[in-house]
Amino acid sequence: MSWRRIQMLIWKEVTQLRRDRSMLPILFVMPVLMLLIFGYVVGVDVRNLKLAVLDQDNTVQSHRIESAFTGSGYFTISAHPTTEAELKDDIDGGKAAIAIVIPPGLGDAINEKQPSKVELIVDGSDSRTGQIAAQYASGILANLSSEFYPSLLSKPGSTPAFGVDARVRVLYNPTMRAVNTMVPALLALVLLMSTQNLMAQSIVKERERGTLEQLFVTPIGRSEYLLGKLLPYMGVAIVQVIVTFVIGTAWFQVPFRGSLLLISVGLMLFMLSALGLGMIVSLMSRTRQQAMQTSMFLQMPSMMLSGFMFPVEAFPKWLFYLTYLIPLRYVLVIVRSNFLKGSGFSALWPQFLGMAVFSVGIFIFGLTRFRKNLDD
Amino acid sequence: MRRTLAIARKELLHIVRDPRLLGVVLIMPVFQLFLYSYALSFDVKHLPTAVLDLDHSTYSRQYVDALHQSNYFTVNKTLGTYAEADKALESGDDKVVVVVANGFGTDLAAGRAGGVQVLVDGSDANSAQLGSAYASALARIFGGKILVNQFEAKGFNVTAASAGLSANVRTWYNPEGKSASYFVPGLIVVLVTMVTVIQTSTTLVREKENGTYEQLVVSPIRRLELMVGKVAPWALIGALDIILIALIGVLAFGIPFRGSVLIFAIASLLYVTCTLGLGLIVSARATSVDSATQMAGLLSLLPTFMLSGYVFPLSSMPWVLQAISYLYPARYFMTITRTIFLKGGSLAVLLPSLVALAIFASLTIVIAALMYRERA
Repeated sequence: MSWRRIQMLIWKEVTQLRRDRSMLPILFVMPVLMLLIFGYVVGVDVRNLKLAVLDQDNTVQSHRIESAFTGSGYFTISAHPTTEAELKDDIDGGKAAIAIVIPPGLGDAINEKQPSKVELIVDGSDSRTGQIAAQYASGILANLSSEFYPSLLSKPGSTPAFGVDARVRVLYNPTMRAVNTMVPALLALVLLMSTQNLMAQSIVKERERGTLEQLFVTPIGRSEYLLGKLLPYMGVAIVQVIVTFVIGTAWFQVPFRGSLLLISVGLMLFMLSALGLGMIVSLMSRTRQQAMQTSMFLQMPSMMLSGFMFPVEAFPKWLFYLTYLIPLRYVLVIVRSNFLKGSGFSALWPQFLGMAVFSVGIFIFGLTRFRKNLDD
Repeated sequence: MRRTLAIARKELLHIVRDPRLLGVVLIMPVFQLFLYSYALSFDVKHLPTAVLDLDHSTYSRQYVDALHQSNYFTVNKTLGTYAEADKALESGDDKVVVVVANGFGTDLAAGRAGGVQVLVDGSDANSAQLGSAYASALARIFGGKILVNQFEAKGFNVTAASAGLSANVRTWYNPEGKSASYFVPGLIVVLVTMVTVIQTSTTLVREKENGTYEQLVVSPIRRLELMVGKVAPWALIGALDIILIALIGVLAFGIPFRGSVLIFAIASLLYVTCTLGLGLIVSARATSVDSATQMAGLLSLLPTFMLSGYVFPLSSMPWVLQAISYLYPARYFMTITRTIFLKGGSLAVLLPSLVALAIFASLTIVIAALMYRERA
């Protein structure tokens, strides 16, 4: 092993990167783009849901229902159909995501203290929007109910004199900002996407062009070659993560309460698994676009099943256990907990252990297969 | 035409003879389809919950039971002290800690409010939001039940006195709330985009990098013939992917297909034309195969996933992102597939999206052709 030869190889990779006019911009635009899109799409509260109101009652109470919905900020009224058929057209055409039907006689029923009922129609073809809309709507209706029927059981806004007085306190992220959940997770995702893809691409490129053989008739050894490949791309990935961190804390104002050391160690460990995966992908692919496709297809399950977007607890049992095989799952708990809660190693060691096992395992597997492949 | 066909045949042979490539473009999408259709849902269920019961009364046990029975919370731990509660939240083992105050049972029995504290981990904003809403709702229901029991024991008729406004929620198009019905149509869009954009993004750059481009130029083939011939097989494979996913969705997952097959076929054709055009544009712009694949990866996954309305409601996004979403064809195809699968949808409803797709398809192809001529 000669450090000088490794330096030469690094220099070669860096020059190649620099000569490619569009490559460097892409590499640095990528984390910024991901942050902006994830920050502003996922991180934003669901608001301005399109609501259609079919008011067959036309009383003070029915107007109050409408104004309660618009006043909540969650809904904007996008249609005022006058018949059921019109309502169906509005939902079919995507003009409304949710509709409320106020039947005739609602106002009278309320005046006579009789039970009353409205109908909520949810567009099930867009289930997430529909679900959220239905939840908000139920909340608004529950408040209206106590407003319309003042009684002992339900006093709006006051703590109940009896029953269960549940005080809910949200810790670490009291306003429940979604960006605060997203930004720490993106550190890991950016790292995964960029290291795995770049690693796979650069190895496949040498093979595609036949420059690999040329390299191996020189005195460069296998491990020198590998280090020369790994180090520059690790460098790129680290810069990308730093960019993400800085924009996340400065622009999106995500509070950082953790320790830089702990997060770095966690991310470094995680990077091993991404590099290992990159090597494995490179062995599976003959061309670079094939490698890209394979990488993307491997990353999609990581994104979907690691808890990045969907809560893993709600998965079916068999799948829940399968998620333990995804390294991203562990690192997500680590970065999120440390970033927002400041959890230390004593709380997070099981995650570290799980990830270390996988990362080192995947890395060594990739490494041995890769070396074997080079020898053949 | 004959020359175009010859090129197309050559490309197709390349694809068919490479089993790994076929695996990546045909089997991977199907695999993902199975994984996600079984797994994903936005419900927050089974939130891991720890209980700190300081009361140890019949009522407190009933309350904890009610939490567990609700399916929203899974009580997996009983704690002894507050310090343990801190640790449970910090390590991320539990997302909710319910503390039942001392005297809960005696308060309830005496007709006073029993105190409960619910601590929610806010580092996962989505779970925190739903978790705190569920906790409050459950407390209200539990308290109400106990109150009703107490009143009835004293001989009051409570049901008559507790009239209110209730909502009857109906979900159209997907009444059972099956997540496959919602995920599969959208997944078609995502997977097809990934396959077609990535695979065509390197067509031109690769020939240039390999130096085979000069050979082609001296042959009698014209540039446009070359372009069409290169892309045609991928149009075929894109179509195959769509058919495969749609068939599996309908046959294996029992999702409905309520619209017209003809409109769906036309829309698919238009959309695949758009994505192939995008791929070609990337390949004409990119300076190297590396940057082409990176760009294609970035261009295919993120906007299709985030800016098409697949998971995140477009109406809540900042207006800049909404405006951008109109400039990317996935949005229109997403509307069309969802409407055709789940709602049926007449031509009149779908026409605006179809027209938009047609415009995009012709635009991208014309731009790609121009760039091809100019850069070649």
